[in-house]
Amino acid sequence: MKKFFYYIMNLIIVAGTFSCAKIDNYAEPGETLKGTVVDAVTGEPVLTDQGSEGTRVRMRELSWKASAPENLDFFCMKEGVFQNTKVFKGNYNVRVDGAFIPIVRLNTDGDTLADESKTLDINGVTEVEFKVQPFLKLEWAGSPTLSDGKITATVIVTRGVSPEDFKAKVEPMGNYSDDFLNITDVRLFVSQMPFVGYREWDNRYTTIIDYPGDSFNASLGQPITITTQGNIPPGRTVFIRAAARINYATENIRRHNYNEAVRVDLP
Amino acid sequence: MIIMKSKYYFLYIILGAFFLFSSCKKYLDVPPKNIVNEADLFSNSKGMQLYLSRMYSQMPFEDFKYSPARQFFDDWLVTPGTNEGSSLGRDAGEAMTSEGWARNGAYWGRAFNLLRDANNLLEKLPAYKDNFNETEYTQYIGEAYFTRAIVFYALAKRYGGVPLVTSLLQYPEKDATALEVPRATEEETWNQVLADFDMAVANLFETSPVKGYANKYVALAFKSEAMLFAGSVAKYNTITGFGQKTKVRVIGFDPATAAAASAKYFTEAYTSANSIIKSGKYSLYKKKWSAGDKEAQYQNMVDMFFDASSPENIYTKDYKWPDLAHGYDSYNIPRQLMGGNGYSAGNCPTLDFVELFDGIDKNPDGTIKVWDANEKYILYDQPTDIFANAEPRLRAYVIFPGDVLKGQVMEIRRGVYTGSVAGGIAPLRTVNGTTNYSIGGPQTYNQTDAYTASGAFAGNKSLFLSQNGTTHEVVTLPDGTKMNGGGKNGPFGTSDLTAAFTGFAVRKWINPNLPQALVLEGRSEQSFILMRYAEVLLNAAEAAAELMLAGVSSPDGDDLNTVAYEAIRSIRERAGADPLAGISDIAGEQGLQVIRKERRKELAFEHKILWDIRRWRTQHSDMLNGFRQSDGAYYRGLYPFYSAVAGKWFFDAGFEEARKRFRLTEQEYYFAIPGAEVTKSQVIDQQPGR
Repeated sequence: MKKFFYYIMNLIIVAGTFSCAKIDNYAEPGETLKGTVVDAVTGEPVLTDQGSEGTRVRMRELSWKASAPENLDFFCMKEGVFQNTKVFKGNYNVRVDGAFIPIVRLNTDGDTLADESKTLDINGVTEVEFKVQPFLKLEWAGSPTLSDGKITATVIVTRGVSPEDFKAKVEPMGNYSDDFLNITDVRLFVSQMPFVGYREWDNRYTTIIDYPGDSFNASLGQPITITTQGNIPPGRTVFIRAAARINYATENIRRHNYNEAVRVDLP
Repeated sequence: MIIMKSKYYFLYIILGAFFLFSSCKKYLDVPPKNIVNEADLFSNSKGMQLYLSRMYSQMPFEDFKYSPARQFFDDWLVTPGTNEGSSLGRDAGEAMTSEGWARNGAYWGRAFNLLRDANNLLEKLPAYKDNFNETEYTQYIGEAYFTRAIVFYALAKRYGGVPLVTSLLQYPEKDATALEVPRATEEETWNQVLADFDMAVANLFETSPVKGYANKYVALAFKSEAMLFAGSVAKYNTITGFGQKTKVRVIGFDPATAAAASAKYFTEAYTSANSIIKSGKYSLYKKKWSAGDKEAQYQNMVDMFFDASSPENIYTKDYKWPDLAHGYDSYNIPRQLMGGNGYSAGNCPTLDFVELFDGIDKNPDGTIKVWDANEKYILYDQPTDIFANAEPRLRAYVIFPGDVLKGQVMEIRRGVYTGSVAGGIAPLRTVNGTTNYSIGGPQTYNQTDAYTASGAFAGNKSLFLSQNGTTHEVVTLPDGTKMNGGGKNGPFGTSDLTAAFTGFAVRKWINPNLPQALVLEGRSEQSFILMRYAEVLLNAAEAAAELMLAGVSSPDGDDLNTVAYEAIRSIRERAGADPLAGISDIAGEQGLQVIRKERRKELAFEHKILWDIRRWRTQHSDMLNGFRQSDGAYYRGLYPFYSAVAGKWFFDAGFEEARKRFRLTEQEYYFAIPGAEVTKSQVIDQQPGR
């Protein structure tokens, strides 16, 4: 009996000590945000890299009032689509940043010039589409050819936004330079992964061509033939993808525009 | 039993009382007798010494207790040079994209502790002014400004604009959220650094009253370094943006005013450096130096890092075992002389660094010449022959294969080649008959034809290597003696990186007189030279060159070109480098590159160059062996081989075998603000874009 009494007393003390702990009964994040980033003109998805040099999706939960909204970042898939299935129910601001004209534009005083970000309630599966103006468009011309472990591919680079339109939108942001429009490099990325791009490339085979100043302008719209480096051993399967970028950084990163990845089986 | 029981009842009553009657009564709030309070500390110079010691122990000095991986005040695996391209280290990581990633986290939080100490001194000491004589008092005020300048400088070079906490925050008297200070602009932050250094210079003594304290020239020297940083960022930085919460330009300069700001900072850097030069208080260390005597010049530059009476030392961080010691020797000693804790060779100089120096046979593209005109290896009688005429400064910084340290010949050998030498030895990096020195070529010599007995070596294994310090392939030489594949210092390829895996070991800072038994962690006590006269000369030269390029006339009447030339000339003379052709070498954009190169050579392994390549904003964009760090780049090594048939040595130059990949994107020139600090605050902004 006495023993029982001590048990009870001990329990009370233990309970007293831990009584400050609250159970976390907040509903788990179960909502889904999915969407695409498409070219405003053609309606085609804007292809991108997978990673911090690709298209970034930034969510900020405005309905959360306990502190300043935090940036919840994730990245587009290479097809230009994104999906986040672990979102708390609430009201959000969503913006995307990538190799296209910034949808949120500020001037040098930090005042907002344009804001095409979306503020929406996320509940269930919420879909969203961003219409953007990609800097460049890349297309394959013909199929890649193979010779001696080297892949030769032809790509056509065109502007996705006219220089005038670019200037009209970017110049008010301050410190504009005509050099922004220069295409600085064209790359033929090679990887053994289908997610080939700036974050996943094999530097033994990938070719990078740098273009000083505005020297690329003459090649706009013209087929550019690029051959991979080194010799890819026979029997391998690789994925190739072309990328190009202009001399302009969005969110302080100069991002590439891409075409779709192509699988190449080496005999 | 009754007693037992009542004892327990008593216990519960006491415990219950604790829960029920906990309270705070004011009359209990008396100053504890065993705690020293401010009135005691500020009562005399002894007390002030305690206060200043506490401040100095928290100073963000990059010394033998600093590494990018583990941040400040941590002496584990300290290998200066390993993130700046001068050398590579097994445990050091690659390009610095953040700080403290392996331990201790970002510097952010620690900075504000020390700022509070400095602000406390500035605000409270005036009330105790009568306790000191006038000169003592001004020195203490100067120390506080010096501390604040150093902290703001350390923060600015990492984060750009930071909260300028320049007064004592009344905590806990006021609510913490009310005391929050948002980040200022980067320009305001650098202006604060400048103002605090100026106050330090104005208040500090001409000489340090106690060794280790600052003085006027210490403050001037660090000011020139900080202003060079500010001027370079204003000129070369391209990334900028506004804080999300405050709309303040927390990184970068307003492009409209950047050029003017840059000229202002370079002017400050130049005048403070030149005023040290003109004071005549310091000089380059030349105690053993002798014109034309390379051996003396080499020994002079080894000794200068250990001579406490060196006239070149402006400011040192001193160590004394057992109270305050470090482990530099233990972590960086060549493997052959490994100490009891088992560390070694944490700091292997790259071939790219070695090639910066004079006195080495080079190809037209500046790379070291190891092949003859027919692309066959040049053979040497001794491994030291290839560097026989190398610049003495390089020998004082780097241990070459066959060099002597602590009376022992340093054996650095990648392998023994037993193939024929008739018609010369063909390049080793050949797989299945294809020679490939690009990144796609063989990563280690274990993959080459000579080792795997394929291609031209089919059925005829001609290369013998060691897998680590204990597993050797042994070759019997023509004279009957046996030789291990790898040397006592390796290199051993990728299987064991506790060796000279680039083909070199570091000599700088290694104590040549430390007995083997004391090569231990926490046992080294040589001083770290935080600021030496050579840097002041380089600061003056670089600032002068930048001012000339900006078209700014000399702020102090001295001819800028002459000041810059004389600085570089004297450094090169002391180093035993080839003399410059003349004053025109230092002019224009090309002259600036000459000055920068001199800096990379002179100040390597001193925690300086990493910040230099960051402030120049060249780290991500400089072409390095065909790649840029923005895409991921690699350094090269030089691998010595012994030809058993010829009895001679040859060297293979190419990408180092560990393939350490340095990758830095432009936005990483500014470290991210610790996420928790941004989340919990209504005003602290993350870096724009991050």
